[in-house]
This record gives sequence, C-alpha cells and structure tokens, in this order.
Amino acid sequence: MQNIIRELEQKRAAARLGGGQARIDAQHAKGKLAARERIEVLLDPGSFEEWDMFVEHRCHDFGMADQKIPGDGVVTGYGTINGRLVFVYSQDFTVFGGALSEAHAEKICKIMDHAIKVGAPVIGLNDSGGARIQEGVASLGGYAEVFQRNVMASGVIPQVSVIMGPCAGGAVYSPAMTDFIFMVKDSSYMFVTGPEVVKTVTHEEVTAEDLGGAVTHATRSGVADLAFENDVESMLMVRALFSYLPSSNQEKPPLVPTDDPADRLDHSLDTLVPDSPNQPYDIKELIYKVVDEGAFFELAPDFARNIVIGFARMDGSTVGIVANQPLVLAGCLDIKSSIKAARFVRFCDAFNIPLVTFVDVPGFMPGTAQEYGGIIKHGAKLLYAYAECTVPKVTVITRKAYGGAYDVMSSKHLRGDVNFAWPSAEIAVMGPKGAVEIIFRRDIGDPAKIAERTEEYRKKFANPFIAGHRGYIDDVIMPHETRKRICRSLAMLREKKVENPWRKHSNIPL
Amino acid sequence: MFKKILIANRGEIACRVIRTARRMGIGTVAVYSEADKGARHVELADEAVLIGPPPSAQSYLVIDRIVQACRDTGAEAVHPGYGFLSENAAFCAALEKEGIAFIGPKTHAIQAMGDKIASKKLALAARVNTIPGHNSAIGSPDEAVAIARGIGYPVMIKASAGGGGKGLRVAWNDTECHEGFASCRNEARNAFGDDRVFIEKFVEEPRHIEIQVLGDAHGNVVYLNERECSIQRRHQKVIEEAPSPFLDDATRRAMGEQAVQLARAVQYQSAGTVEFVVGKDKSFYFLEMNTRLQVEHPVTEAITGLDLVELMIRVAAGERLPLTQEDVQRNGWAIECRINAEDPFRNFLPSSGRLVKFIPPPEVPGQVRVDTGVYEGGEVSMYYDSMIAKLVCHGATRDQAIARMRAALNAFVIRGVASNIAFQAALMQHPRFVSGDFNTGFIAEEFPKGFHPSALVHDDPLLLAAVAALARRRYIARAVQTTGQLRGHRRQVGHDWVVTVGRQKFALRLTPVEGGCTIDYEGESHALRSDWRLGELIFRGTWNGEPVCLQIQRVGWRYRVIHWGTQADVEVLTARAAQLLSLMPDKPKPDLSRFLLSPMPGLLAELCVQAGQEVKAGEKLAVIEAMKMENVLRAEADGVVKEVRAAQGDSLAVDQAILEFR
Repeated sequence: MQNIIRELEQKRAAARLGGGQARIDAQHAKGKLAARERIEVLLDPGSFEEWDMFVEHRCHDFGMADQKIPGDGVVTGYGTINGRLVFVYSQDFTVFGGALSEAHAEKICKIMDHAIKVGAPVIGLNDSGGARIQEGVASLGGYAEVFQRNVMASGVIPQVSVIMGPCAGGAVYSPAMTDFIFMVKDSSYMFVTGPEVVKTVTHEEVTAEDLGGAVTHATRSGVADLAFENDVESMLMVRALFSYLPSSNQEKPPLVPTDDPADRLDHSLDTLVPDSPNQPYDIKELIYKVVDEGAFFELAPDFARNIVIGFARMDGSTVGIVANQPLVLAGCLDIKSSIKAARFVRFCDAFNIPLVTFVDVPGFMPGTAQEYGGIIKHGAKLLYAYAECTVPKVTVITRKAYGGAYDVMSSKHLRGDVNFAWPSAEIAVMGPKGAVEIIFRRDIGDPAKIAERTEEYRKKFANPFIAGHRGYIDDVIMPHETRKRICRSLAMLREKKVENPWRKHSNIPL
Repeated sequence: MFKKILIANRGEIACRVIRTARRMGIGTVAVYSEADKGARHVELADEAVLIGPPPSAQSYLVIDRIVQACRDTGAEAVHPGYGFLSENAAFCAALEKEGIAFIGPKTHAIQAMGDKIASKKLALAARVNTIPGHNSAIGSPDEAVAIARGIGYPVMIKASAGGGGKGLRVAWNDTECHEGFASCRNEARNAFGDDRVFIEKFVEEPRHIEIQVLGDAHGNVVYLNERECSIQRRHQKVIEEAPSPFLDDATRRAMGEQAVQLARAVQYQSAGTVEFVVGKDKSFYFLEMNTRLQVEHPVTEAITGLDLVELMIRVAAGERLPLTQEDVQRNGWAIECRINAEDPFRNFLPSSGRLVKFIPPPEVPGQVRVDTGVYEGGEVSMYYDSMIAKLVCHGATRDQAIARMRAALNAFVIRGVASNIAFQAALMQHPRFVSGDFNTGFIAEEFPKGFHPSALVHDDPLLLAAVAALARRRYIARAVQTTGQLRGHRRQVGHDWVVTVGRQKFALRLTPVEGGCTIDYEGESHALRSDWRLGELIFRGTWNGEPVCLQIQRVGWRYRVIHWGTQADVEVLTARAAQLLSLMPDKPKPDLSRFLLSPMPGLLAELCVQAGQEVKAGEKLAVIEAMKMENVLRAEADGVVKEVRAAQGDSLAVDQAILEFR
C-alpha cells in the first residue's frame, strides 16, 4: 500500500509539472502564468478539486504515441470563489502548446456537463495554439463538442472566458458563445485568421496585437468586455465579477450584506443635470452615487462609450445597470451601443438580475454610416431585449427621452415595472426646436416666431408631467432620493413573476 | 444698527459675512452673476439679486447694478468683502450719494492708500518706516555709490521699466554698486529703451508680515497683532499665520504702533491691514495698506477672539470700538491654508468643473474652522478666483496648530476638480516651515521645478499597508457571508498578506480583534482600530493608540489610500498571489495619446492648440459639436503637438485624426 501511495504522489507531482519546468519558465518569460498558477489565484486557496489529471491522448500518428503528458494540455475541475461553487478549465500551453485534442476536449466537456447538471458557472482560461493537428478531424470534433455545450449552457449557467494566450481560428468560437470575454493585454490575441493569412489574401499588413489584441477587442470590435494588464489582475477581476453572478438561471443573484443604507440620500445629485440642455454630464457619477458602497463593475468601458453597462448592488442584491452617457455622442443610440446594451440586457434577463436603466437619450444617431450599417436591425435588438425581458425593470429618466429612443430605453410600454423621472426630464417626440420647425413649417422664415413657439413647446413638453398625466411615468422623484426609490421598487418587485408565451424560441433580429 | 445689508461679493467671503450678519440679526442680500445661480452664498442669504452675466466686469464690478440692488431690496449698508469693489473709491462715492453705508473705510482713506506714491509719502509723514531709497533717476556710477552709501549696503539697483527679474542688481559694496549701475543701465536701455535707474535698500531674506488695524468714527484705533504671510507662490499667499514665528514683542509693538499712526493719519475707520516687509535683522518697512478685510483675517480672529466682520459692521453703524489696545488678546497660534481648485502636479493649472465630492473636515470650535463658498455637487466656475475654501486651525502652540492642520487636511475630501491639498500637506510637514525659518522666497527655493509627487514621502508606509490590509480583510469577511456558500468548502482566510505600497513590500500578519486588527510586521506588533465600513471614503481610527484619518477608495483590486498628502495604490495579496504577481512583466504605460481622434462625427467648433505647442494633461484641446452638444476633448497626457490635421469648422468623421502629438 505504501508503495502505491508513493507512486500516486509521484504521478501527481509529474502531472502538476505539465510540460516540465523548462516550459513553465518559458511561459513566465512571456509574462504568462502556468495553467495551475492561474487557478491558484482565481479560486479560494485550497479549494480546487482537480479531475482527469491522468487523462492522456489516444493518438498514434506522427510519433505522438511516445509523446504523452498526463492531463493532455488542460487542467479541469471545480472549486470556490468566496465560497461559491465554480467549474474551471485552464488550458496548459506548456503541454503541446495547449493544443486541443479529442481527450482535451472531453475533459472540458466533462466539467461543462457537470456544471449544467448542478447549476454552477464555468470559467474557461484559454491559452492554446489551436487544434491538435496530428489528430485531424478528431480534434475538430472535439471543438464542436465544446461549442455544442456552450450553446446548451447558454442562459442556463453563466460562462466566462479569459483569453490568456493565443486563441485563433475555430477556437475563438467557444469564447464567442460565452457570456463574458476578458483578455490580457500584450499576451493574448483572438482572431479567425491570423496576420499571415490576412497578408496573403488581402495584402493588409497588420500585427497580431493590432489585429486581435486585447486593446483592439476592448475598444474597436467590442469582442472583449475588459482588457487587463496581466494574468494576476485578470484572475482577481474575474473573482470580482463572479460575486455579482447567480450560479444558474434557477437562482436569484447572490445577496451580500451591506452597511450602506437603502434610504441614503445624496443631495449633490440635485445639481447633476446642468441647466443647459446641451451641456453634457457624467452619468457614471449618478451610478456611483446610488449603488451600494459606490461599487460599480463596468463592462466594456472602452467600447461604445455612449452607453454604460455593468453590475452593481442595491441593498445587497445584484442589479444590471444600463445608462446613456451624455458625455459621449450626447448619449445617443447607435449600432455599437445598441448591440452592447442588448446583449447585457439579455444576460440579466436570463439570470434573474433586475435591470436599472438611467435614460438621457436624444435619439438614434443619424447618418449614412449608421443606416448602411443596419441601425434598423441593430437598434431593434435593444428594443427587443427590453421588451422580451421579464426581470424587474426600474427606469429613471434624468433628462432627455426623445423619440423612438424613449420607447427603447425600458419604457413603461415595454413592460417597465417602475418608471421614474427627475424633474429635469424632457419626454417628447423630439427636441423643442426640431419639433417646432416641423409643426410650424411656414413660420421658419420668422426667427422670433420660431423662438416663441419653441419656448411654448419647451414649456409644454420639455418636462415629465405630460408623460406623468398618462401614467407612463409612475412618479416624478427628487434626484437626491433616487437610491431610496430604486431600492424600494426593487424590494417590491423581488417576487415579480411574468411569463412570455410558450414558443420554441423567439426570433430576435440578429 | 442696520436692519439689512447687502454683500457685494461671492464665494466664501460672502458666506462668511452672511454668517456674522445672521448672528447679529441683520437681514442679508446676496448678489450673483448668472454663473453663480446655484452658489452657496445665494442659498444662504435672505434675498438674492441677479446682477449680470458671468464675467465679473459685467456683474460683480458693475457699481450701478449693485447700487440698484440696494435700492430694490432696501439694504442700508454694503459689505464689499475683498477684491471686486472693496477698494474702489467710486463705489463708495456712489453709495454715499444714495445714503447707503459702506462697511469699510471712508473714501478719502481708500484714495490716499490706493496710490502707491501718495501712500508712501503719507507713511513717511506719519513716521512709518519706509524702504530707504532714491526716487529719482540716477545720473552716474559715482552718484549711485554715494547714494548707496547713504542708504547702507546691501542695496538694490533697479530699472524704472524693469520687471520679471530683468534690470535688477543687488550690490553689497562700492565696487558692485559701480558695476551694477552700469550694467543695469545698459540692460535697461537695451531691453526697455528706458535707462532710468533707481536705488533702494535691499531687504535680506524678506518676510511679509502685516498688521491688522481697526478704527472707529470716534478717533479710536487699535492694532490686532500681526499676520505672517511669507509662504507665497508667485506673489499669491498660500499659508498665513498669526502670530508670526519671527517677531519679538518689541518689534511687534513697534510695527503695531506705526500701523496705528498711519491709520490715524487717514482717519481710518474700519478694519484695515498695513503690510510690511521685514528683513532678517528684524528691520521693517512699510509696503502698502489694504483698506479692506483680508482673505486671511480668520487667523487674527482665532487668536484675538474677535469677529472682525461684526466689528466692521458696528463701526460702520457709528458704534465705538468695544475694546482698547490693552484689551487685545493674543491666544495661541492660528494657521490658515488656502484651498485652491488647481492642480499642484500640473504647474498649478486652475481646475474648474463639478465638485463630485466635497467633504471638508468637521469644524471644531476653537480648533478647526472652514470658510467655504462651495458645496458637493456645486460648480467651480472658471470665471472667478480658484480659492474654494480656507482651512483655519488654532492651537495653544504653533506645533499644535500645525498638527491640527495636518490632521484636518487628511480629512478634506475633494473630487471632480483638482485641489492643492497635497501641496499644503507637503508644506505643513516641510522642516523649514515647521521650524519657522522661511521668507517670501520659500516656495521658489524649495520647489524650483514645481511640485512633484516625489516630494511627498510618507514617513510610515506601514500604516498605509495596514489600513489597506484591514480594508481587504473586511471585504473578505463580508464576501464569505454571500448567499450560496458551498458546504465543506468554507473559505479559509489566511492571516498572512503581502502588501505593496509603491515599491515597498510588507509581509505582514493580520489578526482581527474586536474593533480592528493587530498587525505583526518584522517582529513588532501594531494595533489598528477603526469602525470604518466598506465603501466609506474616510477611514478614522487609531494606529498604536494615536488617532489617524486617511482617505481610502477601492480602485479595481487595489486600494487608493491618501494620507499626509501622499497617494498610494496599495495592493493586498496572499503571499502566493504576490509571488505570482512578481513574475508578471512591468509594463510601461502604452502611448495611446499620440493622436487625438474625433470620438464622433461632428463639427470641429474650436481648436485650442497649434503645432509645436506644449500641452499639459487635462488641457482643453478641441471642442466638437455634435447632436447640438459641445464635447470638450482634453489632453490625456503631457505632450507637444506635432501636427494639426483638421481646421476649425471642419466636419469630422469618427476616428478622424485632429492632432498628432510628438
């Protein structure tokens, strides 16, 4: 028995070294951590239960029969983050460059199957050169098995991907189907075809970093939700994100006790909206001042900055925040911001996370770029997402809510549960000047008359009371009591139950 | 007594005057410009009158508007505060014509002291020390030497048209005087086309010390001790204190008596200030008289126990001074720090905008006083002075006043606009300031290349580490109370942490105890106690029994801790995570700022820089008008503009380059 135990220990020690110390050192030299080191930072100390440490590939071709490394390039298992269950896989670049074999894929599928079965999130740490070419179609089959499970898990358990090395070709589509993608600056990239292929086909010269680096995806493509400086920071921030997520769609989001009073007032909000309707202000100040302890986990902060999305807590419970940002593009909706917010709204809806929406939107962005780009369909995504969703929805209009964009932004008509407006709200078809120039077209040559009519229109419509008369607004609230009113509304809505009619699935305008 | 007074000013001084008037049961009228609609002084006053657009030349300086506001509201008197119309004889005359009292000196005193040459002559006549000098052009080097001998070395030779350090020589003996005169005259001729040269006494290591005087309409005048205002940056006072650490009783009395003589000479009837320059040999010379309430009057109020605004009002109403010279007190020590909306790390560039957070330290009678005209959520306007608050601390001794000031600065929270708090904190702990060994050249000498964060080194970084570690520990203690814990996996929280403050690493052991924790570091045990709760910006507690107050804010996974003017982003990690972090590469900040790109399609409404221009981070570069909104683009880092790629009025596409930086 003693010998067997010793042998097990030796086998484990060998497996833990993955591709060996030399390759681990090479990984460090590239500014990256080894697969197990990442898990050490990600999970609570000592909580990791590793599975399939002794799995090996079954390939005999191209001399692979003598090259077997236990674990086969991916570390899988489960553990906890602040005591809550999570399944993890972490690709090991030191073993065959993290290439995905049939066995490697099976390991990932195994933990995904378990995660779906028990209702717990999956976090994938991606660091892989791609398919195990020696295995041919078996490797491709492995990818597809993972893809299928990503789709089956979608909306059932939260899935988070962290790209911590190469992720190219077909491999990108597993992360692409998960809920959140994080990337590490300078050491990760994601693209369907790499710089060499791009050069051959289109004669464009581009570096891997420019084509698919973390900054590119966090600012230009919107593929990445966040870009981090290094592996350790990434893991710590995934822990922070995890604290907001429920374990599955069967659960309400986690509750965290807070000392921040739900009825806390903030009088400085009374002066947040400037006197001039054309002067921007930072909507994030409102977010920071109403959420618990001023803690807001913003997603995609550098992409489509005209809309702000992210998680926070109110009275201890997770909320998803969506807010127009007057500082950027006057806060108007365009293709990118609609897509960004729509996907976030759908995530929150899938996982029972109430939505708090702050509205200051002058409309949709005009222009050929937008129309040719399909703003009609993309804008519809956000409208669709809000209309479809059944979680508690609390909306606060701080200033402008003009035109179709008013309807889109979690309006009463899209089953908004509680719709508040600040006294500074202007809910109308369009801004006073534009409206007057249409209604009183024949007076356009007479600036004095137009000014008079504009003032008249402003007095009549540039306020929240017209909407209030019709009940589209449940109450006009003082800015300083915004937190209190939202917290109370969310408490009232906690047991909200609404069901959409049965259907195979809806048909969102993709 | 007046029933209602109007305060012809804004900001902290308007609020301060209103405070006293209210206590005296006098009604108050504020005036305000369009930029000050939401200002605190408007809020505090019983009535408020709009007097014009934001620029002060069209509002706070328009005499007719203010006189009209008095008529409209029935105000019987006007307190002018400082600046604006406070020393404007025409304003006094206009009020007099209307039968409205001016809470300040009479017109003739303002006029007499408003003119530099006239005031010097008056001072001379009143037997007040003036700087010895020769006030007409000197013809030859020999004449210069003769005059210099008469005055006594060292002397300053200066060009009539000189300025900015040009055309200025200091001579310590005949030879230097001879040469200095010639070269000064040449330089003046070449630089200014005016070769008139004067000579006056050169005051060594000059200090700026001023005497507060107070007179009534019945011929009584007293002096209320001195204020030392030598801590100046480019002739702007930064710190003032009373008394001066430099004066002895005899000098104080001599200066005070001369100040009173001057006040009597102009029948001065209000609060006024006689400014002196004092040399290292304690020789003192009259500079000028300010015929108004000074910014720094609270330090005098602290040590004398008087309310100068109240006395000004009473005197203006014809009352007699309630005290004689013998009654004037001098209790303890008071220091005032001017809190300005400016960025000390960017060459004191004024900062304006919304005060996202503004939490002054709590006032403690007899210890801490905060005079301010702003509030959280208010606006710091670009139209007016950048001083947003005065922090005044009083103690039995100078050391105690400094200690209180340092503690109060720790608790002063300002976010949204930059402030000079870090600079004030640095001055408060500067050995030369603490010892009182300084003169008006102090800031220029000690910070010749401006103020840099490197000037601030925390003397106890372990405290910063301990506070961040406790914050982290409380965060974890709370996190494990999250619902949905996995059985059998209860999170084990270790005691050992590696805390990084700047480049310094502390491997410490944290043991939670009732109301705080014990920190063990390098064999020594430290006690940290605090009732701080997650999310609070201010951390108050005790560190080894001593009260401490820091500012703390979670930024990502780090803790930003502000204390003694220093700011550190502190990392608290388990030993293992710290070890793994040390394997991570140190990345230089990527230079994403080489181009200024248009963030939106729109019209380039304004381009504020040109090729070759140096810009500071935060400086306005361009304004883009889109969707009828003005979007201000600011520099993200210091740099030099290499090329301008768009012109004002251009229609811009998204991501179109506007500027390229070098």
